[in-house]
Amino acid sequence: MWLPFMGLVIGIILGLLTEIRIPEEYSNYLSIAVLAAFDTLFGGIRAYLQNIYDEKVFVSGFFFNIVLAASLAFLGVHLGVDLYLAAVFAFGVRLFQNIAVIRRILLTKWSTNKEKLEKS
Amino acid sequence: MNRMKVKGKHVILSFVCLVLGFMLAFSYHLTQIEKQKEKPNLSGKQYEKTLTLRNQLIAQEETNRKLQKELNQKQDKVQKNEKNLAKEAQVYQNLAEDAEKYRMYLGKVKVKGSGVKVTLTDGAYDPKEDNINNYLVHEHHVFKVVNELYISGADAIAINGQRLTSHSYIVCNGPVITVDGIQHPAPFIITAIGDPDVLSSSLNLTGGVKDQLVNDNIIFSLEKESDITLNPILGS
Repeated sequence: MWLPFMGLVIGIILGLLTEIRIPEEYSNYLSIAVLAAFDTLFGGIRAYLQNIYDEKVFVSGFFFNIVLAASLAFLGVHLGVDLYLAAVFAFGVRLFQNIAVIRRILLTKWSTNKEKLEKS
Repeated sequence: MNRMKVKGKHVILSFVCLVLGFMLAFSYHLTQIEKQKEKPNLSGKQYEKTLTLRNQLIAQEETNRKLQKELNQKQDKVQKNEKNLAKEAQVYQNLAEDAEKYRMYLGKVKVKGSGVKVTLTDGAYDPKEDNINNYLVHEHHVFKVVNELYISGADAIAINGQRLTSHSYIVCNGPVITVDGIQHPAPFIITAIGDPDVLSSSLNLTGGVKDQLVNDNIIFSLEKESDITLNPILGS
């Protein structure tokens, strides 16, 4: 159970310690990729809570979404169309929806638990 | 089996978390750096300080420019003055040269240079001649030589070492001649500074001074000298 947290912490430390500099024009792609990662993560959590979690879908979706979002932004920059806005919009909306669903599920779980406790 | 599966799941999940954490931290790091680049932590006070400093700098630069212009103008003036000075210096130099020349003519300074030396000696005693004057050197002989030398461009002339000036006089006084009040016996050595070739050839003209003097039984000798020094006139 502690392994995923350890991974997170190690990742953050690595990210803060790296002295790799990427050009400023590529920082846009990185932020889009971060957004995609968040979306997939929350999607995964929601799926887990709804008991439709599939590891293959989650992992493949995580990486594929990151790459897709970054490449979409890249394509948009080169075509002169702000495609990264579409990615931000889509991921943002899905992010909020997922968070809302998670919140509701957690609320219902919490209330049912409370009722059970009261009954017993 | 089940536990193994769970562990595999966790490994994959932790890998996903690692990637996420890395990306998050990296992005955060990057944005922070960009922010620092754009405006390096300016608080109000600092901003005011920067503003005043900038204004000071601008004022300083303006004064610098003004001073630079002034400097250029001053430099122009200096250049003009220098040119004038150079001209004046040249004028002074010419004046100094002229003064030197005139002093030489007046006999106020020592003169050195090439020239000729003419020696006039009385003729040998000749018993046939009744009049001793026929073979003595007279003042007019000396005059002839001196005039000829002056005409042919001598700068300075001296008789027996005494300089002649523009107001010198030569008087015949028996067996001696008096130059400016100083008596000189024969032989008379007339030294002249000038172009030796010109002076000697002018004296050697056929029917010229030399021939006339020789006709008067005077022993005339002419030497070219490369280094003659004439002393200035004393007490003038």
